[in-house]
Amino acid sequence: MIVRVKNLVKRYKELIALDHFNMEVEEGEILGLLGPNGCGKTTAINCILSLLSFDKGEIEIFEKKMTPNSYDIKKQIGVVPQEVSVFENLTVRENIDYFCGLYIEDKSLRKQYVEEAIEFVGLKDYIKFYPKKLSGGLKRRLNIACGIAHKPKLIFLDEPTVAVDAQSRNFILDGIKRLNQEGSTIIYTTHYLEEAEMLCKRIIIMDNGKNLVSGTNEELKAMITTTEKIVVGFSAIEDEKAQKIKSIPHVIDIEKKEDDYIIKFENGLNNLSNLLEFIKENKLAYTKLYSQLPTLNDVFLELTGKELRD
Amino acid sequence: MKNIFRNCIYQGKNRYRDKSFLFWTLIYPLIMAIFFYTAFNGLIDIELESIDIGIKSENPIGFILEEIELLNVHKISEDEINEKLENEEIQGFIDNDLNLLVSKSGINQTIIKEIIDQIKQMGELNVPIEKFDFTIDYVLDRNQKADAIIIIFYSLIAMVSTYGIFPGIETVSLIQANLTNVGKRINVTPLKKNDFLLAGVIVSLILNLLSNGILLIFIKYILKIDLFTEIRYSAIFIIIGNLFGVALGMLIGASNKQSGNVKTILGIMITLVLSFFSGMMSPDIKILVDKKIPLIGKINPISIITDNLYKINLLENTQNVNQGIIILSIYCITLIFISYGFLRRKTYDSI
Repeated sequence: MIVRVKNLVKRYKELIALDHFNMEVEEGEILGLLGPNGCGKTTAINCILSLLSFDKGEIEIFEKKMTPNSYDIKKQIGVVPQEVSVFENLTVRENIDYFCGLYIEDKSLRKQYVEEAIEFVGLKDYIKFYPKKLSGGLKRRLNIACGIAHKPKLIFLDEPTVAVDAQSRNFILDGIKRLNQEGSTIIYTTHYLEEAEMLCKRIIIMDNGKNLVSGTNEELKAMITTTEKIVVGFSAIEDEKAQKIKSIPHVIDIEKKEDDYIIKFENGLNNLSNLLEFIKENKLAYTKLYSQLPTLNDVFLELTGKELRD
Repeated sequence: MKNIFRNCIYQGKNRYRDKSFLFWTLIYPLIMAIFFYTAFNGLIDIELESIDIGIKSENPIGFILEEIELLNVHKISEDEINEKLENEEIQGFIDNDLNLLVSKSGINQTIIKEIIDQIKQMGELNVPIEKFDFTIDYVLDRNQKADAIIIIFYSLIAMVSTYGIFPGIETVSLIQANLTNVGKRINVTPLKKNDFLLAGVIVSLILNLLSNGILLIFIKYILKIDLFTEIRYSAIFIIIGNLFGVALGMLIGASNKQSGNVKTILGIMITLVLSFFSGMMSPDIKILVDKKIPLIGKINPISIITDNLYKINLLENTQNVNQGIIILSIYCITLIFISYGFLRRKTYDSI
């Protein structure tokens, strides 16, 4: 295990920010910490990094106890904080060089690493720019470059794509995959379930400072009763008739969202054909109809009764 | 060591490119210098030919005072003192115990007080009267403009020497994870806090001293005011003033969680108030404060710097400068220790 967190408790007066939080990270994996805003993801990261004090629990990184003075551990870690954390009056290159230099003393090696980091985040055309002249997406890339230029073994990425345009977001996500392929273990916090699904080999879902469940994408989805969702846009349907859909085998719930009906099924092989048959029998017209597999949002919804996006 | 040097380079770059730092440490003092020069120059000139003073005929230092070219000594009776002071026939009365009585504050009254102090010191040191140098010019005629504006300029220099307060605040903010985002990042790197702080103090001192140098060159060569005749002690007071500023900035930066702007404003307010009492807005205020609440003048760091710059350059008096240096050093050490107490913690309760 590269990181082991056991029974971590952090209180802010009456508020329990982390409630016996547990986490284990294996070498080479991308672990996703998924949860709504305020669920304790960043607090957990800050405690693990010894930025925040905590009330109870144990934290080990590289099988050593993590403390504020664990400089040998810190040398092997890269951190990309949630907020852009760079010097406003240093250029892109100077910022990357400064932070890389805190880890890499050899000048020629550092120069090589800085060049590689600039290339990696695609900021070659902006090396002489000051951060305030960069767009939000480019600033995020700089923020990432400052955290990963020294090629750390373990990288913490705390919501690196918040408030980023689609193009930069894809660029950042591709970059994270490449970092992992090059050998870095990654802990990735996000409240975007699509990112967690796309990137992470293993996911911990958090809520109210607790880890609700953890597992691979597939394992998490297998934990819930919904196995398939079919979305139908009826041209016209009375509510009474819509409720009859529940009589179709394996339907567990039906939900109206704007003009569409989302029909949730539990295990069943012929859900779609059963629904089509129902539509034909009742002479219903529809404008659209498609099948979806459950998402992590469904997992969260079933576990907590609220949507991850709330 | 290499780490500290590297931090000095990057912190220096980050600092001197900061427009607000440049404004407060370089542009603002220049604006103030121009303002004071324009507003006060010539308006409060004093007559140097003679300062009329009153004494009783039996005054023990009467014969010394009569030898001093600058003074016009009038021997008067007890009954005449108040009347002559009010009519401004005399600008000060020295009683037989060498106490000075004045009806208003001003540069002439300051000069009289300084002369009495010097004579008292000679007496305390048992220097024989024959050894007393009656040729001393209490206001030097070395092409200096002997007017009140000089006090204002000494006070201005004292104030800007403490402007190390701004880089002091900035340095501390940059290392605190609960104050800045950069602080968060730095705290998770292997960089030791003390290395960053030391580099910050060095950079703050160098940059503020440079901006002080530019102000002094501006005053000397553009405004043509020659302020310094005693470079060595003047430099010591300016350097220690810088160190005091950085230390105070560190304390302001470390002791609370207010935003950088609030801290900067707090720093400006503190220096302005201290400068006000040291006579920057008007030398009369300094004289009044010295008269009514002398303790303020003795403990106000900007006053200490102003007084000493004034004494050692304008009055050529280097006695008691060590006292000022010691008091300022105690301030610096105390402030740094308290700041370090705030900065010593390694983890935060909240970020």
